[in-house]
Amino acid sequence: MELCLTELEQRPDDGELVAEIFRAVHTIKGTTGFLGFGRLERLAHAGESLLGALRDGKLAVSTVLISGLLELMDGLRMILQMIEAGGTEGERSTDNDSELIALLTKLKGEGEELGPEGDPPSHNRDAGQPVSPTAASGAAVTAGSSTQDKTLRIDVEVLNRMMNLVGELVLTRNQILRCSPGAKDFPELARRLDSVTAELRESVMRARMQPVGHLFRKFPRMVRDLARTCGRTVRIEFEGQETGLDKSLLEAVRDPLTHAVRNAVDHGIELAEERVKAGKPAEGVIRLRAFHQSGSVVIEVIDDGAGISTERVLAKAMERGLVTVEQAGTMSQREALQLIFVAGFSTTQQVTNVSGRGVGLDVVRANVERVGGSVELESRVELGTTLRMRVPLTLAIIPALVLRSGGQNFALPQNSLAELVYVPRREAEQTVERMGTTELYRLREGLLPLVWLDRLLGLEQSADTAELGLSIAVVESEGRRFGLVVDDLKAPEEIVVKPLSAELREIGVFSGATVLGNGTLALILDVAAMGARAGVRPVAEEGNVVGMELARAEAAQRVLAQNEIESSMVIYETGKDGSAEDGKSERMAMPLSAVERIESVPLSEIEYAGGRAVLQYRGELIPLEDECGMLREMSVAEGTASAGNAEKDGATATVLICLRPEARGVRRVGMVVRRVLDVSAGTLLAADAAASEEQLAIVKNRVTTVHRDFARVGGPPTAILKEVA
Amino acid sequence: MRRTAERMADAGNTVSICSLRVGTGMFGIDTRQIREVLGTTAPQRVPLAPEYIAGVVPYRGDVLTTVSFRALLGLERRAGANCVLVFADEENEERFGLMVDGVGGVIAVGRSLLEANPSGLDARSQELFDGAYKLQSGLMVRLDPQRLRPSRLAESGLFDGLKQERQGEPR
Repeated sequence: MELCLTELEQRPDDGELVAEIFRAVHTIKGTTGFLGFGRLERLAHAGESLLGALRDGKLAVSTVLISGLLELMDGLRMILQMIEAGGTEGERSTDNDSELIALLTKLKGEGEELGPEGDPPSHNRDAGQPVSPTAASGAAVTAGSSTQDKTLRIDVEVLNRMMNLVGELVLTRNQILRCSPGAKDFPELARRLDSVTAELRESVMRARMQPVGHLFRKFPRMVRDLARTCGRTVRIEFEGQETGLDKSLLEAVRDPLTHAVRNAVDHGIELAEERVKAGKPAEGVIRLRAFHQSGSVVIEVIDDGAGISTERVLAKAMERGLVTVEQAGTMSQREALQLIFVAGFSTTQQVTNVSGRGVGLDVVRANVERVGGSVELESRVELGTTLRMRVPLTLAIIPALVLRSGGQNFALPQNSLAELVYVPRREAEQTVERMGTTELYRLREGLLPLVWLDRLLGLEQSADTAELGLSIAVVESEGRRFGLVVDDLKAPEEIVVKPLSAELREIGVFSGATVLGNGTLALILDVAAMGARAGVRPVAEEGNVVGMELARAEAAQRVLAQNEIESSMVIYETGKDGSAEDGKSERMAMPLSAVERIESVPLSEIEYAGGRAVLQYRGELIPLEDECGMLREMSVAEGTASAGNAEKDGATATVLICLRPEARGVRRVGMVVRRVLDVSAGTLLAADAAASEEQLAIVKNRVTTVHRDFARVGGPPTAILKEVA
Repeated sequence: MRRTAERMADAGNTVSICSLRVGTGMFGIDTRQIREVLGTTAPQRVPLAPEYIAGVVPYRGDVLTTVSFRALLGLERRAGANCVLVFADEENEERFGLMVDGVGGVIAVGRSLLEANPSGLDARSQELFDGAYKLQSGLMVRLDPQRLRPSRLAESGLFDGLKQERQGEPR
């Protein structure tokens, strides 16, 4: 209904809408009269007669009118809450029904006077209007959904499906109970149990999913009231309301989102005159956008306001002593924006009752991070600001890496894991360097502080691990980046997070516990808290959320760097068959990333054009490279074979469809090979001048020639792929 | 069955007590306060936790914090699996486990045999014990699970330094 009212303000001529609101109020009046709630009835009646006048066209929609009606909503809701709490309507002296009724009748009377002309009541009434809407809406926001929080609407279909699955689960359990140990259908049962569990889990998750739109519903009203108190004109738009989010997470982001929207109205959108001066429409727009992105839900609050001026942020930060002048001088724009999230930071000149006290964005960030999400801020001066909240789809089940330290299992959430590094024993001595008491590992170009998990947790060091190398999990959270040294890295696992009791939560290093696949418990590590405990300082550059692109570019570079050292290779055999008299068959390798497909092509499909073999491949004509005369050999062989044995199907040639770097871009070619042997990781050897142009690699402890066309003449293979895409 | 046993015990002015072994001592807890006795389980240790926390064990889909009674008495940690008793507070909000060396049988004890804590006890024992039954075979110290709640132990602050003291002793 509230939504209808704010919509009505946007589209005053919509008769349907008025009728709908009228019906709603009328229903309230009828029901309450029937149930004997006199007070509610009187109020509803006043509203109804006003709406009646509106419906009959005696009144025109005006801001004041809408405000009056919204107040009516609040009044009704307040009484309803009292009924919910105490069973009676209650009679508090502070309740000013009569005042409200008087206001409503006055509005109606006024309207009737002005009736025919339909002029909205003049704006001088605004001053006289009590500022209660904000106060009332505050109450409405906090108490608005006490009954809704505990109940959930579920599609009957989903519920039925769940029931079916539970039935299946019971059947499977019965079978397992009856089945003797070592029975041969046991693997079959285990598989069924696995699939039933997975499906059940999925449907329960689906039942918990609520559209984000539920959360957005209260905003039109809030934005409207806020905008009026701040003297701004703001419109709110929604996108992706149907995006599903776990119920508990929906509750968790409710407050941060409210904060963010309030901020956008008060700080983001400028006053109407300023906007016009800047060449923008007088009405500011706030857009709430929700969408799924790689396992998480992203909610954006976009305003087209003034944006955040980095100079002002820096000036303020220096004034507060958060950064020194030198630091400020060297800070990049995104680093400066990051300061906004520091507690007690506000750049606004005056403190309003809406916001500006500096308890805003730090709370937003803290709340979102508590549920495993992150907050990013992007801002362009004059164009507006985007606040982006990223929350995981669900809280309860997260992917994690199980690792071992001091004889105990621990789970490390994947979202804070950057990469894994293993240093062999003989190299460990040299690669770990010391600066004071801090041990550092030289990871590519940077120095990575190392934290020994067993030492940090005061566990007994297992003696046998000294024989092994260093297993380092490079982790990153809240700007802290460090290498966590553990005894052993085990398998990744999807874990179900269980809360710890309060006394154990106090330790701070563990965020929960989980039962692993083998039935034992593992504690879940809180990376940020561990970093803090070990004294690792947040690095301003890393973990900076605005610089996602940069981080991504870095990550891409990382991948490239790894490719330089080690890459997967397709190993194939070419040339004459090993049994042939000259015995000249050779192992060759080709970077896997350059190979698109491995095809078996019947010889009959290979055509010749101008003496060159070509192949029609997915509507494209690609040249075939037949370096060792494989095709000729085979066609000869087939010729004799078909002469001798007509039934035999046409022989097939194995063709690697590759992307070959050329002077201009890349080109698809087919390489005819004898057979593909294996795909394996290989280490490229540094190009040896003595060995001519041949690029060699060690694959499975054997020196293998990498095909010259693909020996990264045209840059790393990933770059090639990108060019094609 | 249990109900009738309890009623009979009440009627006969006796209480049914579950006897426990910890170290060389014998202890007893009113059976009505025990929620469940888990067989032998090996709790997962929690690093950095107070010494008296034996660790966590899985219990009905949840993670249960267990208190090591040996540690509370200042005894060495015992390797291997131990018995865990499950308790809950009155409001049924806080659940916790108590790890003991072994669980004996259930015995009916006359109420008149109970004697309050003697005045000469040290502060820790005052905190842990809740009187004793003068049995013929010897004293059976009564325990009140509510006093052994991890949250309460943390509040009392009496048991925080257990580890340091123990480490100070020559082994």
